[in-house]
Amino acid sequence: MSGISLKGRTAMKIRTVKYFIREAISSLRHNGLMSFASVSTVALSLLILGLFLVMVLNLNNIASTLESKVEITVYLQDNLGDYDKRQIGTKITKLSGVTEVNFVTKEDALKRFKDRLGEQQGLLNALGDTNPLPDAFEVKVDKPDNVKTLANMISEIKGVENAKFGQEIIEQLFALTRMIRIAGLLLIVFLALAALFIISNTIRITVFARRKEIGIMKYVGATDWFIRWPFLLEGMILGFSGALISILLLLKIYAIFTQQVYESLAFLPLLPQVVVTNISIFLLVVGAAIGALGSTISLRRFMKV
Amino acid sequence: MISFQGVSKVYGKGSVALSDVTVDIEKGDFIFVVGPSGAGKSTFIKLLFREILPTNGRLVINGRDIGKLTLAEVPYLRRNLGIVFQDYRLLPNKTVYDNIAFAMEVIEASRREIQRRVNHVLNLVNLSSKTDTYPNQLSGGEQQRVAIARAIVNNPQVVIADEPTGNLDPDTSWEIMKIFERINKGGTTIVMATHDKPVVDAMKKRVIAIEQGCIVRDQPKGAYGYED
Repeated sequence: MSGISLKGRTAMKIRTVKYFIREAISSLRHNGLMSFASVSTVALSLLILGLFLVMVLNLNNIASTLESKVEITVYLQDNLGDYDKRQIGTKITKLSGVTEVNFVTKEDALKRFKDRLGEQQGLLNALGDTNPLPDAFEVKVDKPDNVKTLANMISEIKGVENAKFGQEIIEQLFALTRMIRIAGLLLIVFLALAALFIISNTIRITVFARRKEIGIMKYVGATDWFIRWPFLLEGMILGFSGALISILLLLKIYAIFTQQVYESLAFLPLLPQVVVTNISIFLLVVGAAIGALGSTISLRRFMKV
Repeated sequence: MISFQGVSKVYGKGSVALSDVTVDIEKGDFIFVVGPSGAGKSTFIKLLFREILPTNGRLVINGRDIGKLTLAEVPYLRRNLGIVFQDYRLLPNKTVYDNIAFAMEVIEASRREIQRRVNHVLNLVNLSSKTDTYPNQLSGGEQQRVAIARAIVNNPQVVIADEPTGNLDPDTSWEIMKIFERINKGGTTIVMATHDKPVVDAMKKRVIAIEQGCIVRDQPKGAYGYED
């Protein structure tokens, strides 16, 4: 008599794969409303995740662009003689890390200020012939990291009123990015949980509706994986579709947003549209993973037949 | 081929369903498992297809200790068993043919093999004319015949039946028994829990009587033995 064989074939047949896909799709259709709710939740969650990613990437980009442009403006005390000014210039030049030093006279400074005001330069008429602006050096440095130390050293040179740099705005920008990152992370975790919950509910309804079938499958010797696959696929299709929709929306929204920015704030160094394409794969993977995880949660409870 | 060796089953709250049962079932046997309700018949049956595990003792099927199977091995054990329930357990949204084919699809048989086997077993249970019918269009006896066809379509070595005629009238029960007898003639071992006294008395098969979790009688050509 032949003994009981307890080994299965490992290779999955194409027919079986087709069967899994057919089962998954038919149950998606049966479950139309829940499927729609799941896809929408995933799409919304991933859209927000995508928006945050794009925003953070852009803010990082802006911050580092500003950072690389950083220079120190050294304001001099009034009433310094030419010799003193030259002395200060030489001292600054000798500091290691300084790459370029330009002297801006108070007259040049006023002229630049007028240029910047443009049509509103009439405001300056109130000053009469006086020029409140100090003489200054504009100092460029090799590495943004050095800016703060150099600025401190320069401000201690005798005859220097103070040395300013764009540190504050950069720090504020970074603080903002950090805050957005944390808030975004919290929101994303929350939304991911919501998506997970609704997908696992959808799958649970499917599994429940088919518990009889699952029982029979077990009695006739279907393996657990054979039973699981259609449900896993169903979850993954839900997550994947949600991700696709979120990507399409994200592309559209970002296109409109960049358009708006270029029209009004052209100097902002925004990342090109490709940035969305780059995070698309990430969103698709996250969507499918949420779907698979949602199914797994439901299946674990219902597979015990 | 099936050997209970001092098998006990105690359920959660300490209720003993089977205690120290030892019995051997040979290939080709036709066995009735009888006894009052709650005596342990169902437990006996459920142990065979590893719906439940023994609390003590060993249950060996074809040289394999059922208690030591990994979860992944259980499906392959069940492919050697055909199971028939009192309530048929057919899928209402599948035709007769598809209900039977389903048992082969889930073990990934080829389409041609499925067609060949399903038609063969449909013929065996005299339902060739009902191929495209749905279960709710069939009588109880016909539904049970579909269930039997499904149980044997994968050529199991053992068919396990739990009160297969419990919901059927006497005439229909006889039809069902004839089918089981035919399957048994083909060399398939049959283990059937039943309350059907006339059937057991008339068929003169081996009878195992269980009372309060113990085997109280094991007769080669037995009778039902209870007046109920």
